Amino acid sequence: MSRRKVLACRILVGAVLIGLWQSGAALGVLDRFFFSRPSDIVGRVWELFARGGVWTHLGVTLAEALLSFAIGGLAGVLGGFLLARRPLLSAVLDPYIRVANSLPRVVLAPIFLLWFGLGIWSKVALGVTVVFFIVFFNTYQGVKDVDPVLLDNVRMLGANERQLTRHVLIPSALGWIFSSLQISLGFAIIAVVVGEYLGSSSGIGYMIAQAEGVFDTTGVFAGMAILAVFVLAAGALMARLERWLLRWKPGPRAGGFVD
Amino acid sequence: MSERAAAVEIHGVSRHFRTPEGGLYQALADIQLSVRAGSFVSLVGPSGCGKSTLLNIIAGLLAADRGRVEIFGRPLSGINRRAAYMFQQDALLPWKTVTENIALGLELRGVVAGEARARAAEWIERVGLRHFGGSYPFQLSGGMRKRAAMAQVFITDPDILLMDEPFGALDVHTRQRMETEALALWSGTSKTVIFVTHDLEEAIALSDEVVILSAGPGSHVIGRHAIPLARPRNLIDIRTDADFAEIYRALWSSLRQEVLRTRV
Repeated sequence: MSRRKVLACRILVGAVLIGLWQSGAALGVLDRFFFSRPSDIVGRVWELFARGGVWTHLGVTLAEALLSFAIGGLAGVLGGFLLARRPLLSAVLDPYIRVANSLPRVVLAPIFLLWFGLGIWSKVALGVTVVFFIVFFNTYQGVKDVDPVLLDNVRMLGANERQLTRHVLIPSALGWIFSSLQISLGFAIIAVVVGEYLGSSSGIGYMIAQAEGVFDTTGVFAGMAILAVFVLAAGALMARLERWLLRWKPGPRAGGFVD
Repeated sequence: MSERAAAVEIHGVSRHFRTPEGGLYQALADIQLSVRAGSFVSLVGPSGCGKSTLLNIIAGLLAADRGRVEIFGRPLSGINRRAAYMFQQDALLPWKTVTENIALGLELRGVVAGEARARAAEWIERVGLRHFGGSYPFQLSGGMRKRAAMAQVFITDPDILLMDEPFGALDVHTRQRMETEALALWSGTSKTVIFVTHDLEEAIALSDEVVILSAGPGSHVIGRHAIPLARPRNLIDIRTDADFAEIYRALWSSLRQEVLRTRV
């Protein structure tokens, strides 16, 4: 499976789908009012960037996503480590964590709006509730998953608890943490956009809600397209960082959804 | 300390485990053993007899239910700081390079990074891993990983070396080379080696003394045999030596019954 062949096929799939959409709209099979047209959407995206108004919205969404990613990620890693190393605490908190994680996030959005207002913090809070649990469960699993022989070996070499964490637990959990960060970055963006959609005065979600309010399908799709590029770019950056940090892992990780 | 002081003394050590079904399995029962400082002693027994359990107790990784362990006359509690441990499985940290792995023991003891690296580089030479200092463990062959593991334990200059079938997973030829190198690194030092194996030939070829453990449950020492073969030993040819064959016959007759008693 050569890289070039995969890339060519990927582009082909996209071209066929967009071609079908475009010709469907041209032939009248797809109503332009409901489905818009790829050419219109591209034109709109271009216009948005040319006029410059979109930058603010993009900046707001990016800031919210990064903040919720950073806060939720940090809290998730710390919480995962703590509970993995304190079996009593984890046994006590287990049902509460499960209950908290089972709450549908969309239901939380209005409450966060009440608590944190229309600004960015209600969206960050929503994003944090998504990111935290993904990172938390993965970190917990990663720390539990450590090869006991490695722990014994480093203990025999003279490590204390702190050194054990630094030389064995963190690097070992890193693979798990990273796979969760990949996923959670995407979810963080989705969560903050949902938050914006439900109530805000800026951000890509707000833009989409505005377009929807005036039945501007092209505007909705343009917002979605910008969002998609943005999520792909963030994912690619994370994948590069992961490849560098996990360079000790054997074999090329075969391409799939991440690379 | 007198010339014949014991490096390790084990008095009446027992240990049981909880089985997954909730029962109790008595692994070791009333082990008595004394290992003279500077000697190379092998623990041999049928598989599942608790050899590794005993080694882990001497290492301080596992606590005994009953009995005492003394290291150079001092009761052992917690990790045995005079000992280094070479594991059967790969125990190199996969996220550290060969150099970092070998230097780790020194770094953990507070040796500054630069000096630790320099001494690791010397050990890389000694175990024949030149040019591989920057490699990660997954890039090395099984034999090379064992060389790195050997350097990792030797660099801290431990008084006691605990080895749990360290070469068990290697092919016959690699294994013989590694045994030879391990002996070369040990000879001339005053280190005490406790070597666990199920291979009687390997035990005789390497050791000053072979200790035979009975089949489990309730494994205990059933025989201690001095191996009067001269050193330095040529491990490539020693197995065809007439004295070797005689010792092997004598020890095998006592080990044989235990092997037959073991339910597999």
